[in-house]
Amino acid sequence: MHTYLGKKGKVLVWTKILVPPLGFEHQAPYLVGIVQFEDGQKLPVQIVDCEEKDLSAGRHGLKPNQKIEVVIRKIGKVKSEEVIEYGIKVKPL
Amino acid sequence: MKIQVKGVGLTKFGELWDKSLFDLSHEAATEAINDSGLTSRDIEAVFVANMLHGKLGSQDQLGAAVASQLNIKGASFRVEGACSSGGLAVHLAIQSLLAGTYKNVLVVGVEKMTDATLSEITSALMGAGSEEERKAGLTFPGLYALMARAHMQKFGTTKNHMASVAVKNHYHASLNEKAQFPFEITEEKVLNSPEICSPFTLFDVSPITDGAGAVVLSSQVGKGVFITGSAVATDTIGLSERASFTELAATKLASGKALKQAGVETSDIKIAEVHDCFTIAEILAMEDLGFCKKGEGGKFIYSKTTRLGGKLPINTSGGLKACGHPVAATGVKQIVEITQQLRGNAGKRQAKGVNAGLAHNIGGSGATAVVHVLQT
Repeated sequence: MHTYLGKKGKVLVWTKILVPPLGFEHQAPYLVGIVQFEDGQKLPVQIVDCEEKDLSAGRHGLKPNQKIEVVIRKIGKVKSEEVIEYGIKVKPL
Repeated sequence: MKIQVKGVGLTKFGELWDKSLFDLSHEAATEAINDSGLTSRDIEAVFVANMLHGKLGSQDQLGAAVASQLNIKGASFRVEGACSSGGLAVHLAIQSLLAGTYKNVLVVGVEKMTDATLSEITSALMGAGSEEERKAGLTFPGLYALMARAHMQKFGTTKNHMASVAVKNHYHASLNEKAQFPFEITEEKVLNSPEICSPFTLFDVSPITDGAGAVVLSSQVGKGVFITGSAVATDTIGLSERASFTELAATKLASGKALKQAGVETSDIKIAEVHDCFTIAEILAMEDLGFCKKGEGGKFIYSKTTRLGGKLPINTSGGLKACGHPVAATGVKQIVEITQQLRGNAGKRQAKGVNAGLAHNIGGSGATAVVHVLQT
């Protein structure tokens, strides 16, 4: 995970998932895309802190080549007795 | 290469709550063996294609489980390659015949999917994706939605183009009594159906299906339909690792090899069953198989060229979209459909003047591609 921290890049393609797999039900609908970092590496990752379309003032809408940076977020749903899993997502810049 | 398709069998595709996986495999296999004119004693090996039953039904060792139910004592195998399991099993069966190890073999593709919940199935299918894709909460509709987005951005493909794939395949399914959805739909219905993952709506997506298909293959050829080309190609398991999101490189590789083996050109193919797990997948298949130029697949299908009665009928069974997609059965069903078309006994959906056909089966988001060429 640490190798991704601080990385910046752009969104190549994205989709909004309304029918999620097990463990992601509480997040749906959510945005997932393939991003390309400045070093050329590509990664499938969730896109947070934005909407698919720019619906309200002050919110980000997605467009091709939207600039993004990596953030740390909770991954999946956590039961009370389990360790909270953190991982990376990206948010628009 | 000349391997005869001696017998074919297919169950009804759909939500078959009164039938178990073994009911389905037995029904399709028995029909194929009877159709071949052979008996189960003549079958020296059984190749069982299945993706999900170990996860959803707790039964592994499906090769033996299916073969013993048919009282076949010879070799038995289970073959897994996600949604291309069926095509892979046919390919392996052919290799065993070409090697001379066996003379008559049975391939059964079977899947029992509708007993699980939607999120269980969605997760189980993601076994065919990459670790990163699972972590991101991606789904198979989601992965192909990413390809659709790329195709729309690069070539101007529209939702109407994609909808025309579903409209055509539902029309074909309306002529197929084995299809899960034997009824027609309109472009408006596709566009106005609930969103699954943008830009896909419900009717861009193939269904969850129970069903089985079977073929008896033989190296002892007589008159009939023959497999003359069979090739498999592989790509990265994860979509993001590929240079392009607007083509399936494995399709190009496998079809090039299969056509070369058969000694035919793309223009010699008169009919095809292609892997339309999502509407964009049929558009990609038209381009990557060389039936039209890259970027023009949407317009090509929208023009009705690939509708029954057009120049190149595609997915006369109804495809994965409307005939249904019991994942490991699909690749075998494609061989069954092309065989029936080349025999001239496809009933109401019979295409005219077809003597060479192609079957195109994909695993995952394009990590595996299997292409077969069939001729009379």
